[in-house]
Amino acid sequence: MKARRKIEKTFTFFVLLAVGIIYLVPILMMLLGSFKDAGEVLQFNLALPTIWHPENYLYVLETGNILRGYANSLIVTVSAVIVTLLSGAFAGIVIARNSGRSSNALYYYFIFGLTATMQTVTTFALLKVIRLYGSYFGVIMVFVASNLPFTVMSFTSFVKGVPRELDEAASMDGCSPMGIMLKIHLPILKPIMVTNLIIVAISVWNNLMIPLYFFNSSKKMTIPLTIYNFFGMYSRNWHYVFAAMTLTVLPVIILYLCLQKHIVAGMTAGAVKG
Amino acid sequence: MKRLIHRKKAGLFYPIWFAGPAIVIYGIFYLIPIFFAFVMSFTDWNMNRFMEPVFNGFENFQKLFNDEVFVRSIGNTFLFAVTTTIGKIVLGLALALLLVKPVKGNNIFRTIFYMPCVLSTVVVGILFNAILGRDGLLNEFTAVLGIKPIDWLGSYSTAMLWIILMEIWMWGGFCMFIFISGLQSIPQEYYECAEIEGASKTAKFFKITLPLLMPSFTVVMTLNITGGLKVFDMVYILTNGGPGFDTQVLNTYTYRSFSMGFLGQSCASAVILSVIIVLVTFTVNNFLKKREVEM
Repeated sequence: MKARRKIEKTFTFFVLLAVGIIYLVPILMMLLGSFKDAGEVLQFNLALPTIWHPENYLYVLETGNILRGYANSLIVTVSAVIVTLLSGAFAGIVIARNSGRSSNALYYYFIFGLTATMQTVTTFALLKVIRLYGSYFGVIMVFVASNLPFTVMSFTSFVKGVPRELDEAASMDGCSPMGIMLKIHLPILKPIMVTNLIIVAISVWNNLMIPLYFFNSSKKMTIPLTIYNFFGMYSRNWHYVFAAMTLTVLPVIILYLCLQKHIVAGMTAGAVKG
Repeated sequence: MKRLIHRKKAGLFYPIWFAGPAIVIYGIFYLIPIFFAFVMSFTDWNMNRFMEPVFNGFENFQKLFNDEVFVRSIGNTFLFAVTTTIGKIVLGLALALLLVKPVKGNNIFRTIFYMPCVLSTVVVGILFNAILGRDGLLNEFTAVLGIKPIDWLGSYSTAMLWIILMEIWMWGGFCMFIFISGLQSIPQEYYECAEIEGASKTAKFFKITLPLLMPSFTVVMTLNITGGLKVFDMVYILTNGGPGFDTQVLNTYTYRSFSMGFLGQSCASAVILSVIIVLVTFTVNNFLKKREVEM
């Protein structure tokens, strides 16, 4: 019986190892390829480069607009996250704490967005008409709007679990509604804030479709579009493409390895509640 | 009585304008476009006459359903949604079952399998381009086995297959984590009881594990089916609808009509997708909710 267990365990381990290798091969190919020269990289194998070419990275940094892409992605992601979290938290608190028809209606107003799909063409037209097409502000607002249904819903259900007595005690002590939200609710809401922060940040950072529809100049392009355009221009120079991709992927992977617990918990919690 | 009045007062405590920013942003940038998309799908709206669309009834819808590419993209969208959902469930459940027990390197494996979820589809798509090209990594491997190089993205069946496999590769680990948390919430006593009664391993799996895992199935199914119907990046990056228009899906079709300036037609195509998504979500949800059992 014990021997069978042991065989089973080693078998499991090797199955996992095989799948793990499949997962790592593409990333390994990218890493190694980014240090090869133009000819060698075209063999697309997992051999080590005969001569290491770290200067590929310098070339990409100089010509690829990667840094500008980073700056744009940071601007868009950070603003979208802040606006989504704050406006979503306030809306969630109001919906959870106010009883009656109006707050119920408000709840369904936001919930509707979870099953509805974003309409890109008319959003494009709207941005054009109100002269926000191609601007950071317009794109940020579209991101906020498309993330709000989930954020509001998750905040509402979280606040409903916070005992009302807390609010009442604070209000007896003469705290204003605004004060209660800022001093009592926001600190308690920290866990759900982290969940939402992770979900919104990752989805905005990686989104391709919204910048593709609503930015018209390459100066404002975020990382995914920058990389896509770089790939389009340098599709014969795979060593540069790999270097550019490594530059965009490494920070994300490092962040993921450091914050793994929060990211996994946040994203799965988001899925289960959504 | 006094307490009741106090409660009522507390209920009206927060002025509704605190929710104002969220109401306004979501209303303007999400709801208004949805409303107008339905209206505009019945017009001949296009880029040249941006401000003066004319109603033309069901012409857009008629045109779409007479367009072979559109009908094909509906088929592809469903094919993608269904096969990737099945694939992700099978892979995710298998990995979860292997990793829920203590195995050597458990945490490292979990980390590796989840990693693609945080990467952008663009990077993953370009990587798979390098793997699947005529001189790509995959053909290097198959050459060792004596198979002639294949242009994997050059024909419909292999291109579609790889779009699907890429999606499964990317999100299998995500499903794994949902299943792992589902498996961990099954009380151990059930298995102990079954052990005493002498139940076999397969019996335990089908009589205990699967039924009690139904809530996780509901989550994974609804999430992946709706996500799959909305697919855009994956196809846009890997094949851009090609070869020809063979791997076009609804969202890339919408983008193509948009970039050609046929705004009304593009709206109609997007509206059809939204209606499909709503119908499918409700059906799947109802179907699965009935099958969940109390723990």
